[in-house]
Amino acid sequence: MATNYPANLKYTKEHEWVSVEGDVATIGITDFAQSALGDIVFLETPDVGTKLSAGATFGVVESIKSVSDLYAPVSGEVIEKNSDLEGSPEEINSDAYASWLIKVKLSDTNELNNLLSAADYENFCNSSH
Amino acid sequence: MSNFKTHLYDEHLKLNAKIVPFAGWDMPVQYTSVKEEVSAVRNSVGVFDVSHMGEFFVTGPDALKFVDYILTNDISAAEVGKAIYSPLCRENGTVIDDLIVYKFSNERLLICVNASNIEKDFTWIKSKLGGFNCELVNKSDDYSLLAVQGPKTYETLVKVFPDLENISYYSVIEKGSFIFARTGYTGEDGFEVFGSHQEIIELWGKLIALGVTPCGLASRDVLRLEVCFPLYGHELDDNVTPYDATLGWTVKHTKENFIGKDALTNKPTKYKLVKLLLDKGIPRDGYPVVNAQGENIGVVTSGTMSVTLNKGIALARIDVDKVPADDVFLIDIRNKHYPAQLVKKSFVTGGHK
Repeated sequence: MATNYPANLKYTKEHEWVSVEGDVATIGITDFAQSALGDIVFLETPDVGTKLSAGATFGVVESIKSVSDLYAPVSGEVIEKNSDLEGSPEEINSDAYASWLIKVKLSDTNELNNLLSAADYENFCNSSH
Repeated sequence: MSNFKTHLYDEHLKLNAKIVPFAGWDMPVQYTSVKEEVSAVRNSVGVFDVSHMGEFFVTGPDALKFVDYILTNDISAAEVGKAIYSPLCRENGTVIDDLIVYKFSNERLLICVNASNIEKDFTWIKSKLGGFNCELVNKSDDYSLLAVQGPKTYETLVKVFPDLENISYYSVIEKGSFIFARTGYTGEDGFEVFGSHQEIIELWGKLIALGVTPCGLASRDVLRLEVCFPLYGHELDDNVTPYDATLGWTVKHTKENFIGKDALTNKPTKYKLVKLLLDKGIPRDGYPVVNAQGENIGVVTSGTMSVTLNKGIALARIDVDKVPADDVFLIDIRNKHYPAQLVKKSFVTGGHK
């Protein structure tokens, strides 16, 4: 299955994508991740106001046969969550980059330097799997 | 050591299967989507490569007597040409494996065992041969095995084998070097077809060309759990008796003698296996089960999202002295307690006849 890696996004080795506008990061899981998980049937994300710490788990995504933790790519406060997605998590399988999970107000924009570029993330996916 | 591969491994790669290690084998876990594969088997027809399973032949004048002695179910009473599901127990009643016996004749029987237990089973069964005039041969390396499952199985298989008889559920026939058994692990009508590696590779190709959906281990697990079939290593293991897994019906005390008879006489039960259905949350193997007071009373042995019901389903092992009188069960999912409804019948009723 062909996966894609939009160049305008940042990525983590835990297979999250990040889109940055000013000091707000929009976070989702990558096309590679949804493909590896298969049919996504359940999503658990934090409520607005929750403080996230980079690298810590912030939620769960479940396919029919698996449970995977979500890891915060950056630190900050959740300012919005995509509640619609909880009722139809399979949309992540249809379009992972349109299916954002949460928006976070960054507490340290320097953390963005720790994220991977599209090219680096693609190399990571190709080498580790 | 690298894992074993079935002779169909290259066929799986051609179909872009996702491969995972299972019981020492590299097996296809899914091809396109678990949902599509489950639906194909419930509504049409799917095919599974289950060549990793073990085949032992018992032959000779005492073959039936021996197989009947080592198993708890009644193999003697079954007619020739039937398949019989049975646990294989120790003297103390604990379960070594669960398996299917195919009774070709009183002098020739096939035992099909779980891949993960081939060596354990063979060693055990061989050690019990003393005093019986029969031979035990492990033919696992000589056979490939396909499970063709779903309501359209027969009409599909007759396109490949025009003279295939429409045999009844849990029956078996041999045709040339093929063995056709009307058995399976999905609750649907279906055949399991044993044959030489080359024959089975060719059959696989023909079935795929006929539009049969290739199905992996993930859909197989969902399918068997929806109809509440036990899986060794989950509902059954070395520490429980058939009674701990609601398999009392497979222990036939009327038989004169069989291994484990004394220990199983009083139906020893440490656990009650229950079926739990959730409106919210997906139960997984190992999740704790608690009562209304929040006390730990057992554990989920198998759990998944049911594709057919679109709800979480679980089989759970409850300590027999902690079974709640009020039938209130909750499952601890990441430290939150989700209510689970106790159900009596299987979650899904398969269409086998």
